[in-house]
This record gives sequence, C-alpha cells and structure tokens, in this order.
Amino acid sequence: MNRAADQPEPNPLREGLSTRAVPQPCSIVIFGATGDLTHRKLIPALYNLAADGDLPPAVAIIGFARREKNDEQFRTELEDATRKFSRQAVRDDIWKTFAQSIFYHQSEFGDEAGYKSLAKRLDKIDTERGTRGNRLFYFAAAPDQFESILNHLKAAGLNETCKGSWARVILEKPFGTDLASARELNRIVRSSFTEDQTYRIDHFLGKETAQNILVLRFANAIFAPLWNTHYVDHVQITAAETLGVEGRAGFYERAGALRDMVQNHLLQLLCLVAMEPPMDLSADSIRDEKVKVVRSLRRFAQSEVAANVVRGQYTEGAINGKPVVGYRQEPNVKPDSETETFVALRLFIDDWRWADVPIYMRVGKRLPKSATEISIHFKKAPAVLFNKDLRDQNVLVIRIQPDEGIALRIHAKVPGASFRVEPVKMDFHYGTSFGKASPEAYERLLLDAMSGDATLFARRDEVEEAWAFIDVIEHAWAAKKGAPGLFFYPAGSWGPEEADDLLARDGHAWRRL
Amino acid sequence: MAAITENYSLGLQVQLDKIDSELKKLWAESQGAMTRASLVNLAVYSEVPGSLEKNTQLIAKIAENHACRAIVIEADCKAKANRVEAWISAHCHVSRTGSQQICSDQISFLLEGPCTSLLPSIVFSHLDSDLPFYLWWQGEFREPMDPQLWAWVDRVIYDSQRWKDFPEQMRLVESARKEAKQRIVLCDLNWTRLDKARFALAQFFDHPTSHHHFAKIKNARIDFAPGFRSTAVLFAGWLAAQLNWNAEKTTRNGALQFVDSSGHKIDIELRERNGEPIGQIALNSREVEFVVARAKCGDLLEVSRGKPGEKHMPQLMPAGSNDPVSLMSEELMRGGPHHVYLHALNCVRELL
Repeated sequence: MNRAADQPEPNPLREGLSTRAVPQPCSIVIFGATGDLTHRKLIPALYNLAADGDLPPAVAIIGFARREKNDEQFRTELEDATRKFSRQAVRDDIWKTFAQSIFYHQSEFGDEAGYKSLAKRLDKIDTERGTRGNRLFYFAAAPDQFESILNHLKAAGLNETCKGSWARVILEKPFGTDLASARELNRIVRSSFTEDQTYRIDHFLGKETAQNILVLRFANAIFAPLWNTHYVDHVQITAAETLGVEGRAGFYERAGALRDMVQNHLLQLLCLVAMEPPMDLSADSIRDEKVKVVRSLRRFAQSEVAANVVRGQYTEGAINGKPVVGYRQEPNVKPDSETETFVALRLFIDDWRWADVPIYMRVGKRLPKSATEISIHFKKAPAVLFNKDLRDQNVLVIRIQPDEGIALRIHAKVPGASFRVEPVKMDFHYGTSFGKASPEAYERLLLDAMSGDATLFARRDEVEEAWAFIDVIEHAWAAKKGAPGLFFYPAGSWGPEEADDLLARDGHAWRRL
Repeated sequence: MAAITENYSLGLQVQLDKIDSELKKLWAESQGAMTRASLVNLAVYSEVPGSLEKNTQLIAKIAENHACRAIVIEADCKAKANRVEAWISAHCHVSRTGSQQICSDQISFLLEGPCTSLLPSIVFSHLDSDLPFYLWWQGEFREPMDPQLWAWVDRVIYDSQRWKDFPEQMRLVESARKEAKQRIVLCDLNWTRLDKARFALAQFFDHPTSHHHFAKIKNARIDFAPGFRSTAVLFAGWLAAQLNWNAEKTTRNGALQFVDSSGHKIDIELRERNGEPIGQIALNSREVEFVVARAKCGDLLEVSRGKPGEKHMPQLMPAGSNDPVSLMSEELMRGGPHHVYLHALNCVRELL
C-alpha cells in the first residue's frame, strides 16, 4: 500500500494518475510454467493486467519447466488457457502483443546449466526489451523443488542485483508443513534471498473484501469504539466449500484442512479483524500488527485441544441434491484415512482488546454452500425495555466470497400497534454498488510484487508463529494415546454435531449462512 | 412496471407533487425482483431541445457501472409560457453474478419559460439523502450562476472542449465555486479525455533512470482532431505544470513555446489531423523519442520509445473512448480533487 524502500523517486507525470505504487519493468520467471497454476491463474492475471494497461512498459515472462517445447508452442498453450480462464475476453490484438513478451526456457530444476543459460537469456532480454535487470522469480513448482531451484539461482548469481535493479522471489503456499519445516524452508530461502526480497503469497489477502477489512475498521469512526471486548461478544469466521478434494487427494491426504486453510487463510483473516491500527500503511507496519495477533493467540496445552478443536471428515451425502461419495471413497484416499476435511476451533486472543472474547473458526469441504464470511457478534443490549425477550444480537458480517459485501443486523419495530421487535438486515453488496468487476487476487498480488509492495504478503515471522500455534493441535491429533477423535459428517451438512457443541457450551451457535 | 425500461423511454409521466409517491410505488411493485442501488445523485442539465431522450440513453449506460439517482433536466429558458413536466423511470441491469436485477432510478424534468429559475428547488426536492451531488452541466455557463444551487454541489462536470470563450467560462465557474464556499471539485471531461494518453506517456518515466530525459526534452508534437485544439493545449499544460515549464509565447504557426527551469526552450507543435481527438503525441529528448499514438484498431494506444527515426517495439495500452458514456464513467470512477488539472489549466490558461 506504500512505496517500498527500494522504490524509485516519484515520477512527476504520475501525479494524480494512480494512487498505488507503480510496477516496474521486469522479467518474470515462472518455475513450474507448465502447471495448473500458471495456466489457470498466473498468465490470465498477467494478460488482464496487460489489457487494462497496468503492466509496466517492459515486461518479459519466461516459463521455466522440464518439458520440451519452444516459445511458440508455449504461447499457443497459454493462449488457449487464457481464453478459458481469463476474467475478460481475450482480444487478438492485445494477446498478439502480450504473447511477444512470453518465452519458454526448458530445463530440469536441478540442472545447473539450465540456470546459467537462463541468466544469459535474462541479460539478453534486459538489453532487447528494457527490463532493466529486474527479476521476479515465481515458484509455482512443488515445494520439494524449492531448495534445488533456490540453490541454483544463487549459484548462477541470479539472486544478486546490480545497482538500481532488484530480484524478488514469490513463494506459493504451503510454506512448510509444520514449524520445523517452515523454519527450514525460510532458512533455505534466506540463504539466497533476503526477507525484503521474499514474497509469500496468500491469495486470500489479494481479495478486495479482505483488503476492505482494514478500510472498514480504520476509515469508519463508528466501529472503532465498539471493536473490543467491551462490546464484542464473539467473532466467527467460516470458510465453507461445497467441493471435495477434486483430484488433490495426494496433497490433501498429507495436509488436511488445518494445514491447508487454517494455518494461512483463516489466521490471516483473523489478523486483519483483530489487529491494532498500524502506525502507517507501510508493509511492515501492517505486518508488525498482524504478527502480534498470532503471537497473542492463547496456546493450547495438548490436553486442551479436544475441548477447543473439533476435526471432522465427510461421509457420503448430497450437495445441491446431487449424491457425492465420502472422503474415504474419493480416488487416491486411503480407505481408513484420518485426514480432516473439517475443522472448528475456539480461540482466544490474550491481549487488551480481545481478552475473553471467543473467536470461533470453521473450515470444511462438502458443506452445503461455498462461502467465506467473518461475523462480529456484538453484546446484547441491556435486558430492559424492548430487549427483555430478545434473543438476537447485532451482527456485522463481512462477506469475503462470493457476493462480497458487508451486512449489519439491527433490531427494528414491526409496524403495528404492538411493540414487536425483529432483526432486520442492512446489506451492502459490492456487485450492486460498484459495477466494475474486482480484479482477480492474483492480478493485485503480481502487481504489488512488481511494485515492491509486500503489504499483502506473509512475512517470515507471521508464517512461523502461525505454525507454532497449529503444531500443538497437529501433535495432539497425532498422539498415540488420548488423541481427540475424528468426527464424521454427511456431505452437505454443516459439519459434525461436535462442532455445534463447541459453541453451545458457551451459549452460542454458528451463524446460519 | 411501465416505468422500468430498457428502451430509453422517459418512463411514466407523473405530476410534480406525486414524484416521491410514484417512485415508492414503482419500487414496491418490483420488490424482490429488483434491487435499487445508488451511490451518488447525478443531475444532468441541458438546454438542447430533445436532450431528455438523449441523456436518458446516456444515463441508462452510465448506471450499469455507476448506480445513481439521476435527475435529468431539459430547460428552455427562452420560452414565454411556463411548462413543467416530469417522468420517472428505472434503469436495470443484471448483476455480475447474474442473480439479481440492479436498478438506478431517474427523474426527468422538462422546464420551459420563467420556471427554469426554479431549478435549484426542483433538484433539491429530489436528491437522495446523504449521497454526494454531482452536477453535469452540458453546454455553456451563463450569469447569473445560482449560488443556492452551487452551494450544494460536490462535483461539477463540464466539457470545456466546446466552450467558445474559455477564460470567461472559467471565470464564471471559479467565481461560483468561490462564492459557494464549498469544496466543489471541477471535473472537465476535456481533461478526462486525456487520461489514457497521460497514463501512457507517464509510464515511460517510472524508472528513475529515465528521469534525466526530462531535462533534455527539446520539443514535442501533439496531433489533434478538428475542434480539439483545447484538448491538445491542456495536454501541453499538463507537461508544463508537472515538469516546471513556463509558457513563453504562441508562435505564428500555432506552436507553443515553454522554458524549463534551466532556461532551455521547449517547442510544442500542435498539428490538426483528422481522427481521434488526440491522434499522436511525440516527446523528443536529445536521444530518445517517446511516442504515444492511436493504434489502427482505434481503441488501443501504441506506445514506443527509441531513437528518432528508428523502428520501435510498440506496446499496446487501452486508449479509452471519446464517447460521453466512457468519459463520464472514467470521471465517476476516478474521483479525487483534480488538483493536477488546475495546475495544468493555470499553465496554459492564456492560450486556451
């Protein structure tokens, strides 16, 4: 959101034209260029940026992968993918120009010569296309390849920059599978790139509504006085999806919902909701406040995990009236798999603002609808006057996806002679108020990385603190004796009953989505 | 339901004192099927006969991206007899998710004769409360500028391209703004017309190693379409304001001459050519030529840099469009105080 330290002096002709940091000319090298992420997300995002005129004047995209193909074949494949996955229709004239900036570099990830020839090719591109020695390395490959790629980049001198240019690395999650592996990954990354050069991508943070949480909280004076333990009864965060594992069983069997979603996306959302106001809008000011939230999470003793965390797995059921198989019947899933497809957690943030406010989170696959929402449940008004029989609270809902927006539930008198009070909803929909479609999260994040703005990327300490919190739960689940049970729920339900009990013990219930 | 239209009719004719109740009825009838949305009050004022229908078409398109309460007024101040007619209508489109119809409402007025002086009261009575008020004034301003109306305006939108007497028009706008004691933002669609070209030229200089070219600029050339000289002069004003040049004189052939802070002269040649309002811009430093030109397909800009006379590798960027819907959409999307516009304007005020 702010100009990074290595950003250039402002361009006087930019004044008044854009309110964001300006992306700089660069070469973007994508490792794992023939994979799904490149085809579905990265290239369509870059194309959309080009079509909207947001790419810098000189950009080259170099796909680095094992398979043999030439530039033209690679461009044709990417064109097909972009036509399929781009949010806006592909225009032939724009694609033709854009495609001229795409190149393919065939090499094994472990082949030293491949990196040396990459370095030469990048130098040539700098001369021919004016990319000025700036390099953005995007790791869209499997995490087990990261070390090899990083070491070879270093050996080829590609992590170093000349004066006035930069090299940055974007890492896709997962950033490790536990604290130890995350630390090890960070150590490996740090041996080639400094923290300032490292951008850990969490696409949830690129979503318009996630960014709007900060605006909602810190640009509207009405919420600030209420955003604390005195007025907030509890907070709920739900990330529900109707999908199952969809061909990702190999990965999911090892990860599970806690590692796949809670460690990164949900804790990041919680940070935005719970953080203190940052000193300014610089990347580190915001991330300093976010990491304090994770540090303040009350750590469970292993014996407390069962009382505060519920894990579940879907069995056969129906989604939208269509029968679906249970998790253990999915292809490539072990028939006795203990992997959780659902997690519900009861957390506390032990700081001045949030003392004793329960935070409930749930995430799951094969739930009745796909929705990611945060709700702030305010304390009830004093039980006098109209409120003697009121059961409902004021609730502020932040809808992250789909149908991004904000809703506030208040009480109103039902018209008529009697004083009947009912909850009503004030509802703001992005789609209704703003006709323009929001850019895809990857567009925003790629642009930020080219601009040197790391605000929406996770910092090393955030990632490690999150793993430290998650590890206790994982260890408790993995314990040979006394491990909390795995509960089952039929696909198409809102998770196991035990997840409802988690809230019921506090006198609460999950919000009806 | 007759008032909910997609064929740009004025909608349902209503009595002046029944507008609010008829609007309520309109929304009550469509409850559930449609969602009314509004981010801004947009009043459109024109004295051109037949403008109500034309502006209704424009509002229908603008509302697809900018939900608003539109108040469209056609006035004939010269008519002798008083006549006031009003219509209500709604412009609906299907939301991006395809799940609901999003609608903006429009109130249209035809005013004739002395009653045109009632404009402020007509507008004020029908503003959607708590929303900003944008006044799109089509045509030229004239005295008296109604202080009552201006005191309520947040943004006044006009197009200086067609003004016959630029200094006089600006004097009226600026004095009205001053008198209103309100932070009215001046939005000139003639300036909005330059957005994409400014953006395209600016991006050449994002890297600090390009900044040395600023001190080496010796001349520039701006091609403009007939009728768009003021647009080209505004562009020159922008360069001058942002790069600290002072206007020196206009030569006999219509070229502009500026002097930079080191005393170097910069000539800007303005050439009239058929085509888009701004056809091509070329900025020459001693070593490099920066070119922004309309691509053949029209809605894209080709931008390139290189040694003069050499073939450059062009990049394509959006060119924007000169149609009023695009200009208004761009303006409504941008927002902001437009202080760069005022700086640019002040640099070339005498030349416009």
